[in-house]
Amino acid sequence: MSDIILGFCCNYTSSVDEDTLKKAGLVPDGLRIKRLPCTGKLEINTLLDAFEQGAEAVFVAGCQVDKCHNLSGSQRAAKRVGYAKKILEELGIDPARLEMFFVSRGETEPIVEAARHMSGVLSDAESIHR
Amino acid sequence: MIVAERKPMNEILDMISGVNRLLVLGCRGCVAVCSAGGDKEVDVIASALRLGRKKAGQQIEIDTDTLVRQCDPEYLEPLKERGKQFDAVLSTACGVGVNFIADRCPGVRVLPALNTTFYGANMSSGEWIELCAGCGSCVLHLTGGLCPVARCAKRLSNGPCGGSVGGRCEIDPNVPCVWQRIHDKLVEQKQDKLLKDITPIRDWTTAGHGGPRRRIREDLLP
Repeated sequence: MSDIILGFCCNYTSSVDEDTLKKAGLVPDGLRIKRLPCTGKLEINTLLDAFEQGAEAVFVAGCQVDKCHNLSGSQRAAKRVGYAKKILEELGIDPARLEMFFVSRGETEPIVEAARHMSGVLSDAESIHR
Repeated sequence: MIVAERKPMNEILDMISGVNRLLVLGCRGCVAVCSAGGDKEVDVIASALRLGRKKAGQQIEIDTDTLVRQCDPEYLEPLKERGKQFDAVLSTACGVGVNFIADRCPGVRVLPALNTTFYGANMSSGEWIELCAGCGSCVLHLTGGLCPVARCAKRLSNGPCGGSVGGRCEIDPNVPCVWQRIHDKLVEQKQDKLLKDITPIRDWTTAGHGGPRRRIREDLLP
């Protein structure tokens, strides 16, 4: 089974669902997408819990910095991703397993690229779930 | 307020080695205001520890709670029994809260999640600076309200050391020389004559060098 890659995507990014992307062969089979009204609502513990609950990699896709629907939601998310990466490092987990992406509205390609990037991070990595 | 910061997670994980049931206990006092040990931080620490233990292939049962304050006995009362249900209580209070639990809750093993750092103020979101050393003998009326004990790297009492450059401390150019600031403030307030008075050698017993400090207010005693 493919490693689980969880993507928290802002409501204003691509609305194409994960199954469609998988059927088209565009993204790894392990991709799960969780849609949020705004990535600025994401809490640090939610990001950590995603790993604890089975994800091998997590990404957050929010609006481009200067085009956030909620002005600064994606920037807030990026700061929380940064803090969560620090915690992962303290736990001996490669912080590259968590990334923030600023993506253009309504486009699918950046989400696909984000998922593929995270899949690449996992290519030689050991599982964090024993 | 008392400012504190979280210990590194690997240090906390080492601390709770062998613990199977853990209560992460927050405090809604100073440490909540300085974003180190309130409800949100309790959730983050609990999540991180669950993940850390899972990565190590070990199980742990973690419960969370946050008290109004960990430095007043009435709020600790329920912990005296509840705390015994856990192998350890990881307190996200300042050192006062950890000590108070250790003193008042026999049979409860308490561990610190934070390093208690200083008495400080919030400069902006995410930034705190030390402004008071709690030395027990304020001289702020002589120094324009600016504390040389907390804010001078050498804790000088009678003016600058001579190492400052451009009003900046020699230990770090990002730190203003507080004696330069005291001078400027007293001149501005036309109180600079105070600078000519020699402050005698400080008695540090009030700062804790005479042992743990205690304050009694007779009219409030039960």
